[in-house]
Amino acid sequence: MTMKTTRDVKGVGLSIPRPDGPEKVLGRVQYVADLPRRGLLHAKLLRSPHAHARIVKIDTSKAKALPGVRAVLTAADIPELKKKAPTRAHAVLAIDRVVFAGQPVAAVAADEPAIAEEALDLIEVQYEVLPVSVDPLLSMQPGAPAVADAGTEADTREALAHSAVAVAKSDAPPPKAVNVSQQSKFQKGDVAKGFAESDLVLENTYRVPMVHQGYLEPHAVLAEWDSTGQLTLWASTQGSFNTRSEVADVLEIPENRIRVVPVECGGGFGGKIRALCEPITAVLSRVTGRPVRYVMTRREELQAGMPAPQVIIRLKTGVKRDGTLMALEAETILDSGAFSGTVLTVSAVFLGSMYRWPAFDIRGIEVLTHKPSVAAYRAPVAPQTIFAIESQMEQIARTLGLDSVEFRLRHLIQEGDPMVNGHPWQSNGAREVLERIGAHPLWKTRKEWVRSNGKNGSVRRGVGFALGGWLGGLQPTSATVRLNPDGSLSVLTGQVDIAGTNIALAQIAASAYGLDLDKVRITTGDTDVAPVTGLSAGSKTVYTVGTAVLQAAQDARRQTLDIAAKELEAAAEDLEIEDGRVVVRGVPDRGVTLASIGKKGNLYMSKVSPVLGVSRPAFSQQAPGFAAQLARLEVDTDTGEVVLRDFVVVQDVGKAINPLGVEGQMQGGAVQSLGMALSEGLIYDELGRLTNPSLLDYRKLTAADLPNIETIIVEKPSPSGPFGARGVGEPPIIPAPAAIANAIHDATGVRITECPISPERIALAFAAKPTA
Amino acid sequence: MRRFELAVPGSVKDCLRILAERGPEAKVIAGGTDLVPQMKIGLLHPRFVIDLSGIPELRALKVNGGLRVGASVTARELELHPGVRSAYASLADSAALVGSVQIRNLATLGGNMCNAAPSADMAPPLLALGAEAVIAGPRGQRRVPVETFFQDVRRTVLAADELLVEFVVPAPGPRSGGSYLRHTPRRELDIAVVGVASQVWLSDGVCRKARIALAAVAPTPVRATAAEQALEGQPLTPELIERAASLAVEAAKPISDQRGSADFRRHLVRVLTRRTLAIALERARA
Amino acid sequence: MPKSVLSCTVNDEAVEVLVRPYDTLLDSLREDLGLTGPKEGCGTGDCGACTVHLDGKPVASCLMLAMQARGRKVLTIEGLGRWDLLHPLQEAFVRLGVAQCGFCIPGVLMAAAAVLAENPHPTEEEIRYGIAGNLCRCTGYTKMLTAITEVAAATDAGGSRR
Repeated sequence: MTMKTTRDVKGVGLSIPRPDGPEKVLGRVQYVADLPRRGLLHAKLLRSPHAHARIVKIDTSKAKALPGVRAVLTAADIPELKKKAPTRAHAVLAIDRVVFAGQPVAAVAADEPAIAEEALDLIEVQYEVLPVSVDPLLSMQPGAPAVADAGTEADTREALAHSAVAVAKSDAPPPKAVNVSQQSKFQKGDVAKGFAESDLVLENTYRVPMVHQGYLEPHAVLAEWDSTGQLTLWASTQGSFNTRSEVADVLEIPENRIRVVPVECGGGFGGKIRALCEPITAVLSRVTGRPVRYVMTRREELQAGMPAPQVIIRLKTGVKRDGTLMALEAETILDSGAFSGTVLTVSAVFLGSMYRWPAFDIRGIEVLTHKPSVAAYRAPVAPQTIFAIESQMEQIARTLGLDSVEFRLRHLIQEGDPMVNGHPWQSNGAREVLERIGAHPLWKTRKEWVRSNGKNGSVRRGVGFALGGWLGGLQPTSATVRLNPDGSLSVLTGQVDIAGTNIALAQIAASAYGLDLDKVRITTGDTDVAPVTGLSAGSKTVYTVGTAVLQAAQDARRQTLDIAAKELEAAAEDLEIEDGRVVVRGVPDRGVTLASIGKKGNLYMSKVSPVLGVSRPAFSQQAPGFAAQLARLEVDTDTGEVVLRDFVVVQDVGKAINPLGVEGQMQGGAVQSLGMALSEGLIYDELGRLTNPSLLDYRKLTAADLPNIETIIVEKPSPSGPFGARGVGEPPIIPAPAAIANAIHDATGVRITECPISPERIALAFAAKPTA
Repeated sequence: MRRFELAVPGSVKDCLRILAERGPEAKVIAGGTDLVPQMKIGLLHPRFVIDLSGIPELRALKVNGGLRVGASVTARELELHPGVRSAYASLADSAALVGSVQIRNLATLGGNMCNAAPSADMAPPLLALGAEAVIAGPRGQRRVPVETFFQDVRRTVLAADELLVEFVVPAPGPRSGGSYLRHTPRRELDIAVVGVASQVWLSDGVCRKARIALAAVAPTPVRATAAEQALEGQPLTPELIERAASLAVEAAKPISDQRGSADFRRHLVRVLTRRTLAIALERARA
Repeated sequence: MPKSVLSCTVNDEAVEVLVRPYDTLLDSLREDLGLTGPKEGCGTGDCGACTVHLDGKPVASCLMLAMQARGRKVLTIEGLGRWDLLHPLQEAFVRLGVAQCGFCIPGVLMAAAAVLAENPHPTEEEIRYGIAGNLCRCTGYTKMLTAITEVAAATDAGGSRR
């Protein structure tokens, strides 16, 4: 499916500020918690303090008696709940067992949040505490306390949305490893022979803890029913259609009885692709007959959100002295929390087929533990995977005395090379991106930087980089383009505009149809109004919705030209759209205005149809996007503190529809990546309880911790994206952990294989280093 | 937050009267930067709160042959006050590190001290400077040296019917210098993993007196007395400073928690003691 | 629990509003006065989304009790600029495409305005420390720095500033 257009690409490629900028800087944009409602009730949830327990008894009588309390619910009050919850969303309130600390067991709706909180204090729950599985390595063992109810299936919807790589047949799980919920295996050649013939065999275990997506706006939903049984949900969500489907399934309501309105979303990054609070809020509203609002506190978000999985990768590589790759063996363990839902195969692809390994044996295991279950987080599992392979590749290059860039270029995959499952790599810009970072002055002057230590003897300087990529998500979608009576265009999608993609969509529509950008307006419709649209996730908005908008605009253009052709008694192929008119090519005074065509389609007794372009594409071809990041930093070896002096992101975006927006994505993703590298991690104790449930101790980087993030856009057009565009959102979160680990090794000689690469890890490792 | 009643006294006397009636169930609020988060997570549920923001005398800050800091003086005021920065530099250093600017404009010295977290940043400087707390109560006013002000984690000598009014800090005098440093994983919005305040007094080329105080390595802020004694009467050479830094570790009894392990904290005590002594010495000579 | 009258100045206008004793200033601004610009991102002073000016100084309004604002002047994002007369920081943020999801932006603008009010010629480091209390997850802060730096430089040229 090639995107060809003869349209002047004016509009596409321009750095245009988002049109919602003024509303945002004035503080006038409304998020869910800002929506006023008469008679609003406030919801609070009582959450289990135990990671694994049987619920013996719940007494809500005292809570119900508190004045101002309008409803107190337990699972017993919601008979439609499935006995065994197949997904996290189905576990609305625990029925007889809790499987993670923070799992909701009761719900309250009250006149004020303070009264709702006091009501929670009055609910008496008797628990029988059960043994827990917290450490994924222990949870994998036979005999570990079981997490899932028997009969719940693995939830692989996420995997399918993100990767066209088929899940390979897996071995039968070992007997009684009850918490292994997914497995994968990819093999080629003879790794034992490969290692035997290697001159350098390296084996490391890389670990990254669970991390939270960190969106500033906590989950929030407002639910209201009308008297005919129609439910409206105003939700902070990345996918209104997905939310509708999940709520319908969980509460056994027909989908057309639910309208999900995608309110401005204060960040999602994959944490809001699934329903979470919507079902319980809907039930509270139904039971009380009042609108009910539930906003998660930050503490609840950290304790009971849907984080990224903990990742443990054991990686063994064998190479010859001259740098020839021989064999790679890897085991990736993903801790999915209490419900299955990780993307196993992404890790295999980037471990085994970013570089050309002649023999590999790569296994993936998803393990369940008594912790909150995961959702996606911007390029799920890719940052952690790249942390492993790019740290390892750097160690190999260093040990063998090879140039870091040249070594990678030598073995880097090209278009057509097979991925671990045999599918060929699509066209991609990995080589161009790697060459560009290698040409950067900060890389070329790295030796001078290392030598230029300041007066303070404990400070060391270093430079490091890493390369990472993302295959690009796919999901069917649709869009409509309407010509208005004044000659302007209205584009309708259901796409939640989180990443500022609406302006890019407008640029695409304007270019494809042949109008000035200011004549195009994008509307995000709710689920009653908009055509089916996929998640704003997976770096697929511009790629998929952009394609839909492009094709719908082209369709609208064809219809317009057909109508004009009849009027002008000319052939449609001889017509052009210029300056708001349809004219015969070369004969500018023979033409009609777009407005006249738009008006005729809405005129009483008119025989002219309204112009309505429609497109509803599905996709099979991905457009991988690669990014490389370089870090130049200083390490105080006494305290382990890292000062990041420079940071560069080089990214292939195919075609930057809106460079201003693309830069913002590159910078934001980079800082999330740096947070994972340097300071973030959800820390659980041995009983599965979160020890850092506040933003004081869950450390996201502040402006004072960072330098300006330099961005370099590379454009290697994708044959399948609109105007050659590739997905932008995910690649920039991928390389930083490896880049930082490599830079710190460059500076100190210390190789850290566990994130976050905290001052404590650096200082103690440095102190323990044998002096040269 | 759960519901509570609120009183807004206009003077210390009014406040004491309310405390006499409701003390045991009440909490006072100044900047709220420690109290409000604790109430929101349910660690504390006072049914009665007394707002101190309407009591002007608690906000007095005087630098005049000694320093008097009212309990409601904010960290930001201490951070910026020229008199505090020049003569009580370690206190200004510590105040500048609290939270973020939005927190420092609310957080008060009294709150930081009465909340009595082991990591309270402004405690080590006051300890090293030999400050005293002035406490008002039904039986009149009393003074308590900062050394005995803290009893345990989150517990001070204040009785339920007493109110902290101000801290009095004797002027260090000429040829004295101090510094406060802490280690945190982030540059702002963070809490000390370890904090160290050093104050030295020089006379005829030797250290006449030294005070070293540590935060976040014991249930309360503590002085490193062995380290202090090693310095007193001696010229402050780098070797001696290094020796004192090692001795300071002995005063530390850190726990391991998710902010840092005991090993790392001991390591940091040595590093930060060395660094604060070096800066204190430089400032004393200036 | 009876409410009390809070009398103060909000966005240059005298207001009287009934507040509960346990309402925070943030609660009251949002629910009683309809000023939903300041946001609750954490409720514990750790994210800056609730930043307003109290007597000209940036504070975390989620940590203050509403009654603590009695007799004082509060400025929220709604008072920083108007739709037809943006504050120079607001104008720069729009033109340079700073905002993504937008949730942190009101707080960042209030913090940035306070930086420039106290220090008309801040260094990059001073700007970064001045907005370090404002967490942003979308932008990586770089474009904010560009915008704030530009506005600071422009006021050297004699532009008027609040």
